[in-house]
Amino acid sequence: MNNGAHNGHGALMTPKAVEDDLLDKGRLRGSTFRIAVIVFAVLSVLGVVGFVIRLADGFGNTPVWGYHAALFAFILTAAQGAPMVAIAPRIANAHWRRSISRVAELFSLVGIVSFVIYIPVAWALPSMEDGRRTLWFYGELNMPAHMPEITTTLVLLALTVNGLWLLWVSAMPDFAMLRDRSTGKKKVWFSRLARGWVGTSGQWNWQKHRLGILGAFYFMMLVTAHFAFSLDFGMSLVPGWIDALYPATHAHNSLQAGVAITLITMYVLYRFGGYKDYINLDQFWGLGKLLFSLSLLWFWFWFSSFIIFWFGAKPSEEAVLDLLFVGPYLPIFFIVFTFAFLVPLWAMIWNPLRKSVWGPVTIACGVLIATLFDRIRVYVAAFSVSESTNKHLMVEIPGAVLPDVADVLIWVGGISACILIYMLGTRIIPPINIWEQKEVLLYRIHKPFHRTEVQVLGKPE
Amino acid sequence: MASTNTQWGMVIDVDKCIGCQGCVVACQSENNIPINTEDLFNQRRAIEWIRVERYWEGEFPDVKARFIPILCQHCNDAPCEPVCPVFATYHNNEGMNVQVYNRCIGTRFCANNCPYHVRFFNFWEPEWPETLTNQLNPDVTVRSRGIMEKCTFCIQRIRRTSREAARDGEELSDDSRELNPACVNACPTDTLFFGDLNDPDSKVAKLAKEEMSDDGRGYHLMPQYGTSPNVIYLKKVDESTKDSNGSHE
Amino acid sequence: MQEHVQLTQKQINDDLLSSVLHTPRWWWPAVIVTGIIFLTGMGAFGYMLNQGVGVTGLNRPVFWGAYMVNFVFFIGISHAGIMISAILRLTQAEWRRPVTRAAEVLTVFSLMSALMAAPLVHVGRPWRADLWVFPYDFARGIWINIRSPFIWDPSAVMTYLTASSLFVFIALIPDLAVIRDRASGYTRKFYALMAMGWRGTPRQWKLQAIAGILLSALVLPVFVSVHSIVSWDFAVQIAPEAWHSTIFAPYFIIGAIHSGVSAVATLMVIMVWVWGWDKYLKPDHLDAIGRLLIIVATTWFFFFFLEWVFALYTLEDAELAMRDLQVFQWPWSGLFILFLVTAYFIPVPMWLFKSIRRSYFWMFVTTILVNIGMWLERFLIIVPGTMRRGEFIFDWGSYHPSIIEILMVIMTFAWVVLGMLVFTKLFPLIPLFDIKEGMVGRDEIRIGRRIVPASIRE
Repeated sequence: MNNGAHNGHGALMTPKAVEDDLLDKGRLRGSTFRIAVIVFAVLSVLGVVGFVIRLADGFGNTPVWGYHAALFAFILTAAQGAPMVAIAPRIANAHWRRSISRVAELFSLVGIVSFVIYIPVAWALPSMEDGRRTLWFYGELNMPAHMPEITTTLVLLALTVNGLWLLWVSAMPDFAMLRDRSTGKKKVWFSRLARGWVGTSGQWNWQKHRLGILGAFYFMMLVTAHFAFSLDFGMSLVPGWIDALYPATHAHNSLQAGVAITLITMYVLYRFGGYKDYINLDQFWGLGKLLFSLSLLWFWFWFSSFIIFWFGAKPSEEAVLDLLFVGPYLPIFFIVFTFAFLVPLWAMIWNPLRKSVWGPVTIACGVLIATLFDRIRVYVAAFSVSESTNKHLMVEIPGAVLPDVADVLIWVGGISACILIYMLGTRIIPPINIWEQKEVLLYRIHKPFHRTEVQVLGKPE
Repeated sequence: MASTNTQWGMVIDVDKCIGCQGCVVACQSENNIPINTEDLFNQRRAIEWIRVERYWEGEFPDVKARFIPILCQHCNDAPCEPVCPVFATYHNNEGMNVQVYNRCIGTRFCANNCPYHVRFFNFWEPEWPETLTNQLNPDVTVRSRGIMEKCTFCIQRIRRTSREAARDGEELSDDSRELNPACVNACPTDTLFFGDLNDPDSKVAKLAKEEMSDDGRGYHLMPQYGTSPNVIYLKKVDESTKDSNGSHE
Repeated sequence: MQEHVQLTQKQINDDLLSSVLHTPRWWWPAVIVTGIIFLTGMGAFGYMLNQGVGVTGLNRPVFWGAYMVNFVFFIGISHAGIMISAILRLTQAEWRRPVTRAAEVLTVFSLMSALMAAPLVHVGRPWRADLWVFPYDFARGIWINIRSPFIWDPSAVMTYLTASSLFVFIALIPDLAVIRDRASGYTRKFYALMAMGWRGTPRQWKLQAIAGILLSALVLPVFVSVHSIVSWDFAVQIAPEAWHSTIFAPYFIIGAIHSGVSAVATLMVIMVWVWGWDKYLKPDHLDAIGRLLIIVATTWFFFFFLEWVFALYTLEDAELAMRDLQVFQWPWSGLFILFLVTAYFIPVPMWLFKSIRRSYFWMFVTTILVNIGMWLERFLIIVPGTMRRGEFIFDWGSYHPSIIEILMVIMTFAWVVLGMLVFTKLFPLIPLFDIKEGMVGRDEIRIGRRIVPASIRE
């Protein structure tokens, strides 16, 4: 099947069957789920412990906060980029996204955790009084010395709220189904969440438009967030790092990592969640192709930046290349380059691998690891440059900063907290979009065509 | 061929420059550069391999006119070299940045990428008045239209002296008039010095060593481009005008 | 929504082959007029060869001028073909069908124009430029300098030209067979030769489809590399401050798509007006292109914004002086405003309205405006960029194109028009087989009271 959603399960061909099946799955959760929740909760507490240890160093010591900043950057890049995987194909009306979109949208919940992690980063960022070059022309325009923190906070808040709103609007019809089938206190809660949804044409039109607008805004906010964070918390700390493309690269990495994290989550649902009837080769194949093209673009974005610095070879540029690529972080850069580009390129051109379930998922794990290391490379390095005596040239390149116990604890805790909130989210919101599943049943018919039978797929305007 | 150990370079003592333009004229006649008429200047197509830039130092009452001769810096990491598609400009084994006229196809890429702006394009076929055709230097090619040219450190003089030195079995004498580029010989105030920067006994090497130290007067032009030029400028920082940067107004 | 008209195969043949089998009355005059314009430009070129590059307005700080602008502009236009054909084919957008060939042919001819603009008339010694576009002669042991972007450039452009010519040809084969069966005499021989024995067997169709998809996938990296490399002609340089920016490659690419897709929209309207193919090129198609253009233009504007932000971020005197020149000093300030208004601020708000997107006239006007704006964009990057408000005041200068340059710029435009005119006389500009395939493959699904257009998928 080329492009259509294909459930491949005879019993699930009616809307009613789909609804029953998915709602049942949402209600029944095994003991494994409960154990996993407890484990991740405990690990999250460890993160808090790590944070307290780190706090003892104080906010004045910028370099030690590098790993914390990198953790936030990683979550912003991977988890908050994931909803785009729902938004983009929905705007393009691609049918294969139907069982993916909720999995991706649920990552909006992680925005809450990521915002909490962000707060200390804002404190650790040195004020603009140190005279470094920023976008805010501090000194020229008499800006407040904490302009970067203020704007980034506002943008991140907007992004998180926008994501949650999008998730809610998208889940509204599903909440209504849950409302109709639950009793007691649950019914009250679900009816509040469903906001009187009964499925009139007006409500569906309203929802369609809201999804479009919120999706477009989410994309803009995401790009703005990456722009603000990469510029104010990364580039401006490194004298001479004048890379106009980097904010766009940062946002592109977010799309790539978002696809990767969605693929992995889908695999978990497919393998352990019992959603084999909804998630199948089509989804992995579609996302795999997307990941492949985004990995090729990764190279293009990276190379477009790199060649300018490398060919230009001004002293200021060579210092930046030394810091970020060939200097103390060379091994990390190798890992990033291998898993974000080389492995996806050489593995995904191989047809059997691209058209399998395990193939794209394995590649996605690599991409996620690459994103993780990439953020460490950029932000740990940027935070370690504390001297900004010369605005244009990094005179001395700092050595590699290695993580200590606190950093490891913060990383483990932060990532566990993200997984935890996602798992708890699936308790309330069905991880497969029920209304989108039912919708496709209307659009797809099979009919005879000459000597064969073909699938006819409707594409509404 | 001279030994590959040679690194030709120049030292320019800006403090001594009086802006007389003698070097410009000497260069013009040594290297068969077409006459820069008023019309050519108006077209902004005049060719001066070495030029004297005038700039002001200081604020109004204490203003000083300064001059700085600018010629090809013969950069070791020359931005003009990698961009030429046909290797018309390349680095030779004596540390010079040389231009091969026959290879040049005139993309003007090198000229764009030169921060010092010392590369010149032949917009027209060069012409001399009838009376001057016999004064052309036979050792130097007359460049046709459509190609780039620039300062060569008077390579024809270097070649001739080293050839003659090799023939006579003599050491190439540094800082001799035969070896020096025309501009160095013409300078009335000894602003320009030429020689082998790799030969520790040469005048330029001594000057470079002495002046590039921390308390010396030496600097490279536009170090922010990282071109590592073979031309060193010497200038005493004027304490009275230190606070206000030199301006070109 | 889609006012679909089911057409018979005979009618499709009659409509779309009308330009090939009959010569419209205006055709010869049009060819002669553009031919004269082209030859005038060639005459100007000959004059420049004879006199030297001095006959242009180029001077010492501004070494690159209108020719380079034209080169970048036509490379930009050429991005339309692959954008429409390859990307929309791979994403199976139905509305691409009638547009593909026109876009591809535009690609081929604008690439030729680009090659005419940059290596041919731009360089100082064009008679030697062949040594650069094609590998240098080995015998003398001098190889080309592969570090130079001017070597990457011809390699990428020639690859792109080869690939897009193949693209056009492969899609043309089934249609050539249709013409062959309707022609007689020597024209029949010509088309029979070109059709390479096409009979429409299942195997032939399969091979043709595979070739199309393979070419689409393989040409995409070329598509991205071509304009990236064109941008690196500028961006790798360190001396002109405004050019040394990492954003250039994506900025140029998205700008190229912006102007290229706009040019295709213009071409579509012209096709409707000239041949009356409104049954094939419907307002729906313009609507789809309009929506695509809104996204493309806004992305382009974002990159434009990034470029500016980081130009100011440097706070370097030379860069700021260049920006000041670009925005505040006459005549650049006027051109800058004209560029912004035509490339973005008039067309995009207009495209937000469905009635504009679906109007032939307004789409024609807005897309022409976009291309005026995009030409000015390249002009404003290249010329003020080289004007160097740098450290040496003796090198500050200005530029305006001379009449010779203007004639040659017009010549490159005339070449594209001439090429398209000749092409439409020889080959159908709308792919017959693609239209027929779309007609066969389309269906409708009734959901409740609504009828939703649908397509058959394997």
